[in-house]
Amino acid sequence: MMQPGLYHLLFISAALFFIGVYGFLTRRNLITMLMSVELILNSVNLNFIAFNKYVWPQRLDGVFFTVFVIAIAAAEAAVAIAIIINLYRSHQSIDVENAEELKY
Amino acid sequence: MSNILNYIWLVPLFPLIGFLINGLGRNFLSKTLVSFIACGALLASFVVSVYFFISVKEGNHELVKLFDFISVGKLSIPFEFQIDALSSLFLLIITGVGFLIHLYSTAYMHEESNAHYARYFAYLNLFVFSMLLLVLGGNYVIMFIGWEGVGLCSYLLIGYWFKNTDYNNAAKKAFIMNRIGDLGFLLAVFWIIQQFGSVSFGEVFANAESKSTAVLTGITLLLFIGATGKSAQIPLYTWLPDAMAGPTPVSALIHAATMVTAGIYMIARSNILYTLAPTTQSVVAVIGLATAIFAATIAIKQNDIKKVLAYSTVSQLGYMFLGLGVGAYTGAVFHVMTHAFFKALLFLGAGSVIHAMHHEQDIRNMGGLRKKLPITHLTFLLGCIAIAGIPPFSGFFSKDEILAAAYEASPVYWIVGVAGAMMTAFYMFRLYATTFLGNFRGTKEQEHHLHESPWAMTVPLIVLAILAVIGGFVGIPKVFAENAHSLEHFLSPIFTQSEELVKKDHALSHSTEYMLMGVSVALALIAILYAVNRYSKKPELQDAEGFGKVLANKWYVDEIYDAIISKPLKAISIFFNNVIEKSGIDGFVNGIGEGVQYASRQLRLLQSGQVGSYILLMVLGMIILMVVQFFIK
Amino acid sequence: MNVIVLSAVWGVVMMFSGLFIADKSKAKYVAIAGLLVLLVANYFDLHHKFLFASSIGNMLQFESFGMIFVTIALLSTLLYVLLSGAAVEKVGNHAYEYFALLFFVLCGVGIAASYNNLLMLFLGIEIMSIPLYILTGADKRNLKSNEASLKYFLMGSFSTGIMLLGIVLLYGATGTFNLVIPAVSKASENMMVSAGIVLLAIALAFKVSAAPFHFWTPDVYDGAPTVFTSFMATVVKVAGFIAFVRLFENAFGGMTDVWQYTIALIIAATLIAGNITAVFQQSVKRMLAYSSISQAGFMLFAVYSVNAFAKEGILLYAAAYCLATIGIFAVLIKMKDFTFEGFNGLAKQQPLLALLVSIFVLSLAGIPLTAGFLSKYYMVLASIKAGGLLWLIITAMLCAAVSVYYYFRLIQAMYFKEGDANAIDVNPRFKALLVVAAVLIILLGVYPNALLLDWFHIL
Repeated sequence: MMQPGLYHLLFISAALFFIGVYGFLTRRNLITMLMSVELILNSVNLNFIAFNKYVWPQRLDGVFFTVFVIAIAAAEAAVAIAIIINLYRSHQSIDVENAEELKY
Repeated sequence: MSNILNYIWLVPLFPLIGFLINGLGRNFLSKTLVSFIACGALLASFVVSVYFFISVKEGNHELVKLFDFISVGKLSIPFEFQIDALSSLFLLIITGVGFLIHLYSTAYMHEESNAHYARYFAYLNLFVFSMLLLVLGGNYVIMFIGWEGVGLCSYLLIGYWFKNTDYNNAAKKAFIMNRIGDLGFLLAVFWIIQQFGSVSFGEVFANAESKSTAVLTGITLLLFIGATGKSAQIPLYTWLPDAMAGPTPVSALIHAATMVTAGIYMIARSNILYTLAPTTQSVVAVIGLATAIFAATIAIKQNDIKKVLAYSTVSQLGYMFLGLGVGAYTGAVFHVMTHAFFKALLFLGAGSVIHAMHHEQDIRNMGGLRKKLPITHLTFLLGCIAIAGIPPFSGFFSKDEILAAAYEASPVYWIVGVAGAMMTAFYMFRLYATTFLGNFRGTKEQEHHLHESPWAMTVPLIVLAILAVIGGFVGIPKVFAENAHSLEHFLSPIFTQSEELVKKDHALSHSTEYMLMGVSVALALIAILYAVNRYSKKPELQDAEGFGKVLANKWYVDEIYDAIISKPLKAISIFFNNVIEKSGIDGFVNGIGEGVQYASRQLRLLQSGQVGSYILLMVLGMIILMVVQFFIK
Repeated sequence: MNVIVLSAVWGVVMMFSGLFIADKSKAKYVAIAGLLVLLVANYFDLHHKFLFASSIGNMLQFESFGMIFVTIALLSTLLYVLLSGAAVEKVGNHAYEYFALLFFVLCGVGIAASYNNLLMLFLGIEIMSIPLYILTGADKRNLKSNEASLKYFLMGSFSTGIMLLGIVLLYGATGTFNLVIPAVSKASENMMVSAGIVLLAIALAFKVSAAPFHFWTPDVYDGAPTVFTSFMATVVKVAGFIAFVRLFENAFGGMTDVWQYTIALIIAATLIAGNITAVFQQSVKRMLAYSSISQAGFMLFAVYSVNAFAKEGILLYAAAYCLATIGIFAVLIKMKDFTFEGFNGLAKQQPLLALLVSIFVLSLAGIPLTAGFLSKYYMVLASIKAGGLLWLIITAMLCAAVSVYYYFRLIQAMYFKEGDANAIDVNPRFKALLVVAAVLIILLGVYPNALLLDWFHIL
């Protein structure tokens, strides 16, 4: 069985990143959009760990950075959920198209 | 070197203080106090000037540097005063005649309200200050400051009765005509800076001989344009007759005795430059002569007492320029001096008449004032004789000196000059006869109120009359007595350089000179007798007809200027306003504005309010930046 | 260090004092006390006396540039709370929490002004941003506030992703998060560094609302409660710039050829987008949002040129911009109508306020004798010293000319239009504070060295 190498991981990470961006661009459901953002962040996390393991294995910098990113992502998600709930209260919907009043 | 001359700044300081006090305190100073301050300032200046004059007469001269005025790169223009024979002589004329006119004004302007009275004297003091600055300035820039200052004061004083639109228009006309001339002056100053790297008289004159004639001709012509504006020569003279709208003492001070001679002063000061530029000298002489004869013809048919004097002034200024043009610098300055005396006298006399007649200026409504205004009459007569050039009155000596020099340059100059002098005698005595001789032709009421003027007006008249009579003796020509021309002796340091350049190989023989004098005096006498004889009995009461009408209407010069300059300019400006401004410039400017607005309207559509499109645009932006980063840069 | 720790602590204090003090109108006093404490802490920071003697393994570095900026930020916040503290309390029921969040933002500002490590940069930016998502949506019943908050969050988290991607590329190429980047030799590593720099530039450009990443700004500034817009548009935005300048000077200063052109493009896009779009706005609040974009364009010159002039200039700009914008917003909060028409005739009703607003607006437009002029001048000068691109400087000048149009519309409305605009609830203390701000703007415009820049060199 083939050992996964750096480039496999980088490929997966890049794929995740672009899936996230794609989801972010195409989806209208706020929860899905939130998931897309998480996908982007996690793709970066994967990158950090991959670089740490394969390129700079002397120290655990990348891994620790990942921990911080996860923490921040959690905080962001908490705020996001609160905002989405607030929007749901007023519109009974979590479609991003409800939030298109401010423009020009 | 005498250090006393270092205090020369005292002379202009007094009028400046007077101006500040009267100008700032005009609402609460009494008339007595105002006139005391104004006249006191002038008197103080005069006394100090006499003191300096004596010092200069002993052979002193000084360049007093007060402070650095402009210092840019290599060019340094200090605020400096030059006190020498020429400027000290002008100091005397300005402060002396100025003082007499101030004194006269205290009575003449007495009907004005307090604030306006103070305003008048403040302007007058400011004028004297500026004039002193002009005369004392040690370089062209300081001179130009004074030059502009007197122009401003002239404007303010012509429009002194600012509620009258005509007077305001006259003031504007004077200012604009002067500005045209000033432009020439300013360009000349720039050219001088470019050529000489300095504007100080000393440095410019010392290096003048090393410059090409073409350059000097250009500079002197530009300076002369400045002089034609300020000294009312063809083609810029038309403002001076209109300037008679101002109070009569102002006409006497500014538009006869001092300011209008600024051009002569400036050219006399720059005499070396002019001597080195013969072309300009010819231009100056021809323009001066043309102005002299042209203005004299107009004066013949004028009926406004002040207008006659105004055209006479223009004409006399023409003689001075003729003198400058033929190299008779001393003669020109001499004529400035004598003219200051008798023309100020005539104006003040006219003012006295106007005062007595309750602001009546038309000589057709006067006549027979001889008995009612004895002092005015006598002094006015003396002034007329002086200006007519009858010996031994002052005008004879100065005019004769100019005419003799003109004959030397070209007999044609002399013939035209004498014709002008004859006309001068004629119109002056026409004026005199119509005003003072014959019977009174005014209303009963005017006749009832006729009175001699108060002492404050008559004393200056008497003093000036004496000066007008004896003033000529400072310049007795060589034919009468050797070394009697004390003025020439006094002024010689100023003009030596010029005289060395033009070595006179032949002077006029004595017999020729006697002959010339005889002819001009005889012609003047004939003109006088004819005028008195004709106008004392039967004054010209109807409007002039035929050619006389052309003269009465001043050769229609104002109309011609209107037609060939003002109207086309107006038409062009209307064209510019309607076509180029509205559709061209406005269109362009508004077009940019509308373009920005349009762009704004379109660009804000990007701000669609949809998060998806924002993100898309951001991603596009990222892609573009990445492409630039890696492939284009 | 002191400010970072104490601002976080005071945030907690604020939250708890909400439990113990029932009267919510006392909140601003607690906040003012906290700000004073922070100013004292900042004073010690400036003199390198730390209550908490740790630089977290060299991940923070307290240099005078960042610390003086923190002073400016704290003073601006103090002015902001003094002017608009009452308005903060009126936004909703949770006055103490709002102030607490402001303190957390200040904590982020402190980190952004002193980070020496990409992890700290990331944390600082996030600590600044997340409380702002909440503050933007603080007016819970207002749909616009909600929408603004949502947009802010969505785009903000996207930009977080971009920033992390940039950091990870740099990490991959160099193996460190330190700002001092070891030289790389391999072509692939070079490319990773280059891409990482551009991605970081983009993420920070988003935070300072530079085009084409500015789209969130007008909507968020417009929708957020005005009082928080004021804070966001000033202190937070300028903090973003400090982070930006520090990153590009300390980390990438040696390889300007890699990124300068990209930044130049961003500057040009920002200037054009901000100024042109501002022309057509009808609402003063929204116009100010676009104006903040165009001002960002000018401030980006500091990033572009990373030299001594740029650092002095950005400090001056920060002070000038914060003072003027806080002042205008403070008046705007008092107005009933946020449109330009809403200001019609203000000069008749409130001559002093109109005059002060005019001074602020003139400073923003960069009219000489105001700090705004001098700071713009510094920016252009810095870019010229850095061998600035001619087309970029010309664009900046033209855009400055356009900016006069929309700034003067406000003056025109106040002075030359008929109307009965009036500011509500204006007391003498409010006016006095605004006067102080206006005087400071003019003094900074005349004596920038004595007031501000000399300190930068002394400390």
